[in-house]
Amino acid sequence: MAKARKSRGESLLLRYLVLGGWALVCLLPILWFLSIGFRPRTEVITPRPIYWPSFSLDAWRLLISDWPIAQYLRNSVVAVAGSVVIDLALAIPAAYALARYDFKGREDIGFYILSTRMMAPAIVAVPIFFLFKTLGLLNSVWALMLIYAAINLSLVTWIIRSYMLDIPKELEDAARTDGAGDLTILREIIVPACLPGIITAAVIAAIFAINEFLFTLLIASTSKAYTMSVALANFTGGSDGIIYNAIALVSFIAFVPILILVILIQKHLSRGLTMGAVKG
Amino acid sequence: MSHPVFMWAAARPCRSDRMRTDAPSVLVEGVAKAAPKPAPRRRSPALRRAFPYLLLAPALAYLLVITLYPGLFAIYQSLFVVKFLNWTWAGFDNYTTILQDREFWAALANTALIGAISLALQTGIALAIAYFAYRDPLIRGWRIVYLMPMLFMPSAVAFIWKLAFNDGRVISDLLGRLGLIEGNVDWLGSIWLSRMTLIVADVWQWTPFLFIIFVAALQGQDQEIEEAARLDGASWPKIFWNISLPMMRPVIVVAVTLRGIDITTMFTNVFVMTQGTPGGATETMSYFIYRQGFRMFNFGYASAASVLMLILTVIIAQTVVKRAFHSGKT
Repeated sequence: MAKARKSRGESLLLRYLVLGGWALVCLLPILWFLSIGFRPRTEVITPRPIYWPSFSLDAWRLLISDWPIAQYLRNSVVAVAGSVVIDLALAIPAAYALARYDFKGREDIGFYILSTRMMAPAIVAVPIFFLFKTLGLLNSVWALMLIYAAINLSLVTWIIRSYMLDIPKELEDAARTDGAGDLTILREIIVPACLPGIITAAVIAAIFAINEFLFTLLIASTSKAYTMSVALANFTGGSDGIIYNAIALVSFIAFVPILILVILIQKHLSRGLTMGAVKG
Repeated sequence: MSHPVFMWAAARPCRSDRMRTDAPSVLVEGVAKAAPKPAPRRRSPALRRAFPYLLLAPALAYLLVITLYPGLFAIYQSLFVVKFLNWTWAGFDNYTTILQDREFWAALANTALIGAISLALQTGIALAIAYFAYRDPLIRGWRIVYLMPMLFMPSAVAFIWKLAFNDGRVISDLLGRLGLIEGNVDWLGSIWLSRMTLIVADVWQWTPFLFIIFVAALQGQDQEIEEAARLDGASWPKIFWNISLPMMRPVIVVAVTLRGIDITTMFTNVFVMTQGTPGGATETMSYFIYRQGFRMFNFGYASAASVLMLILTVIIAQTVVKRAFHSGKT
């Protein structure tokens, strides 16, 4: 017993060294980047870095006056929200079929859906670019919406499917003996019962959509369709160089709502990120 | 026992007897015979059999358009030399050229190398902090702090590290103050330093992904076995190696597989931080395709690279990934 307690004491010191150390690794760059957002441009790129800058709202003014930040934000919100709605509309029936029906090819179809998640965006980038060019959808928020929906469809389907498998069969059986049809059961029983899964899937899909970079870069070629993510890459205003303080500020504007969403679904996060494989 | 349950396993036939013995068709007939309640709407057997496919059809159609069409298009386009709007038939020329293109092989090697190192580091760090954190009373706080890097837009993270390493010289300055180096290091100047900046950015942002999953797995496993070993006087590294790690194995396999897939598509950091410098040492496959297509406008050539990468992806998906998900059964 004494030995056990001793080894535990040692590991406690080590534990807080490791945990505290990694917390600093996570937090220091973030805090420093936040300080970049609130300092004058002259103090961002200097021969020696400045750790205690003077406070300034330069970046904020630049965003308000020079960059249509409201429009980028609106583009992001419309494209992301639209893509999540498309995903849910397509994924809920698909997940229901995968979770509750026995049919030929179920395994293969399920794996095909999963495997679309493995495709590197770069592989389909060129064809998708030409596809949207032909459709006249280049440079539009609609194109982004369709792309984001496609990227996240596999993830959303698999997460919701995992939650549907947890719903006890008896619930449906009772409804079925009352004469409810399959679609009624899906709408009235399954969807409400796996609502946490649906919300988790929606939040994770939204995060991936907000973060999407390559397609947005290719499809949104002018500021008309810029989202927050790609607008960032374009704060490299010619002779001015990269406008880091504006970049920092924009990334925090996007970070805060994501952080809140993630804290709300914290309990379901591990399950969502593994597409339903690991129950938290 | 609250061992993490693997839902992929649940999709296998071996468990379908429990999950699905009462298939709807059987049920509907059974109900119709009992018949005191209003009879369910009758459907023809053909429609009943087609029903799951109808449910899946919209999602599948969407995915096919976005994967099959581009795949076929890429194969077709890869047979042409495309200069702006001019398509000239070239047969397999693009492929014979690309297979002798040192830049292509370098991009493939870089993707594998940077990805492997990055993935190994993330897995190790995530395992360590997950093991120390999961029983800690402050776990909720740690989890939110550790999550934060993952919640920044990848393009923002790339800029954080671009500024820290190159433009703002912060890392050089900090290392200088510690007396480790002198003067300013040109992080884009050497092959390995440049690769290292990409690795640091990726590890910083994505270790949380693995951490969250590992913590959930550790919290979900049977605590009593560990407790018993502890009472027997086993040291914590022993407990970790001999008990926790084997119990987590299936979770680790799935999580690392998912992360590994994403690492092979690394693009944003390369685009923002290094653009492939120096001399292509940090050019990944994704960046190679982007550069050939959208910088040099060799769309046919880029498509050939896409097709080769697609073939690789399919092979990996069919072998590694399928096996990883099956191992969840254990």
